[in-house]
Amino acid sequence: MSGSAFDGFRRSDGTVGVRNHVLVMSVTGLTSPTARRIGRAVPGVRVITTQYGSGLMGEDAVLQRRALTGFGRHPNVGAALVIGATPPLVHEIAEAIATTGKPVEALVFDDCEHDAITLTERGTRFAARMMREASRARRTRVALEALCLGMECGRSDPSSGLVSNPLVGCAVDAVIDAGGRAVFGETIEWLGAEHLLARRAVDATVARAIESAVARREQTAVAAGMDLLGNNPGPTNIAGGLSTIEEKSLGAIAKGGHAPIRGVVAIAEPLPGPGLYLMDAPAYAPESVGGLVASGAQLILFTTGVGNSFVSGIAPTIKISGNPVASRRLGEQLDFDASDVFERRTSLAEAAKRLTELVLEIASGSLTWGEVLNEGEDVVSRLGPAL
Amino acid sequence: MNWQATALSADDNVAVVLQPVAAGEDVAVKLGERLVTIRALEPIALCHKIALVDLRPGDAVLKYGEHIGEATAPIARGAWVHIHNLRSRRARLTP
Repeated sequence: MSGSAFDGFRRSDGTVGVRNHVLVMSVTGLTSPTARRIGRAVPGVRVITTQYGSGLMGEDAVLQRRALTGFGRHPNVGAALVIGATPPLVHEIAEAIATTGKPVEALVFDDCEHDAITLTERGTRFAARMMREASRARRTRVALEALCLGMECGRSDPSSGLVSNPLVGCAVDAVIDAGGRAVFGETIEWLGAEHLLARRAVDATVARAIESAVARREQTAVAAGMDLLGNNPGPTNIAGGLSTIEEKSLGAIAKGGHAPIRGVVAIAEPLPGPGLYLMDAPAYAPESVGGLVASGAQLILFTTGVGNSFVSGIAPTIKISGNPVASRRLGEQLDFDASDVFERRTSLAEAAKRLTELVLEIASGSLTWGEVLNEGEDVVSRLGPAL
Repeated sequence: MNWQATALSADDNVAVVLQPVAAGEDVAVKLGERLVTIRALEPIALCHKIALVDLRPGDAVLKYGEHIGEATAPIARGAWVHIHNLRSRRARLTP
């Protein structure tokens, strides 16, 4: 795929968006209903909300700021309205977003007579102006190296490890070979395959980081008195034919392709450079995808066995399954049907070419089913207790 | 030549069936680059696993050429392999 390109939105900070969203983001739980109200008043904006606020502490407080800032700074976001009821937090996040050069407005509940209706009215005006201004942006031809892919699997079955994850791995290899970047998380789904990932680490420090991230999750499960069977693999995985976490992991890591692993980032942490990275993060799709998107993934390649409808609102999420039964059933959920590979009618290499073409087409503006149906959500994971 | 089950590594002792299999059916298995035939001892659902060899309790079960857990009961060649006779070796609460 060398030399291939797509049509994207060049940002003033040098990044490239595959979409040009206007974000309405509430950074405190108190103002989240207002963000949704603004979203209804200005159709087409992407709304991000949180339930949390001043009770967050330690790592959770850091993660909330990092992730919400990451959503705002995201290359697929052309402009952002930040609202909230904690003045310093609103300004801190708005300023961090503004350093990208994109238009940002901040509105604080306290400056709106502590009145949600006033906040709604002012926010609606800002959002409307941003939508009009954002619509003036045009796509231009960009090289593949501008892409950052996030990879995810959800409601996997053995067809995932056999077909759809290796296929995604091929698309990831192509993007990385072109100088782009990619990241996948779901640490618990490295368990049983961590030796293979560690072998691909660029150095011993990265290899140790991979192994200790898995050991921490494994110990957390054991300390909680939790048997992974029934949780991960979960009931849907088990019904589909996955028997153990090792089996699931060995299939799951195929979505990372074959490139060297350059590092392990924390959840929602921006990737430090080109190449393949791992994200130490929870596996549940909304939390995991939220982390990948906050880290800068412009597109999510999301494999499923039997079907999974969750998609990001910011990053177009391409749904892929190799399960022939699911592929027949999920005509308006799966963007890529890989069942011809499963049924031995097409080679993996041929299907990989087709998938890479679809990635470029969607990067250039074609809609995913998740976008058509407006399924998108972007959430921030939680780590510990709150005050 | 077509096949009804796949094992990606020649070292594997289980394969994934690519279509539902009936008891008594002869299943062509692509084992790495070779084709072998295994008679299914019981019905096996789409995407579930069939044993390619006899396994004893405690034996490592291999898929992708890697350990996916161990047998918890005797498993005959051709049997369905799943959570009733295979368990993880990791994150275990009991030895």
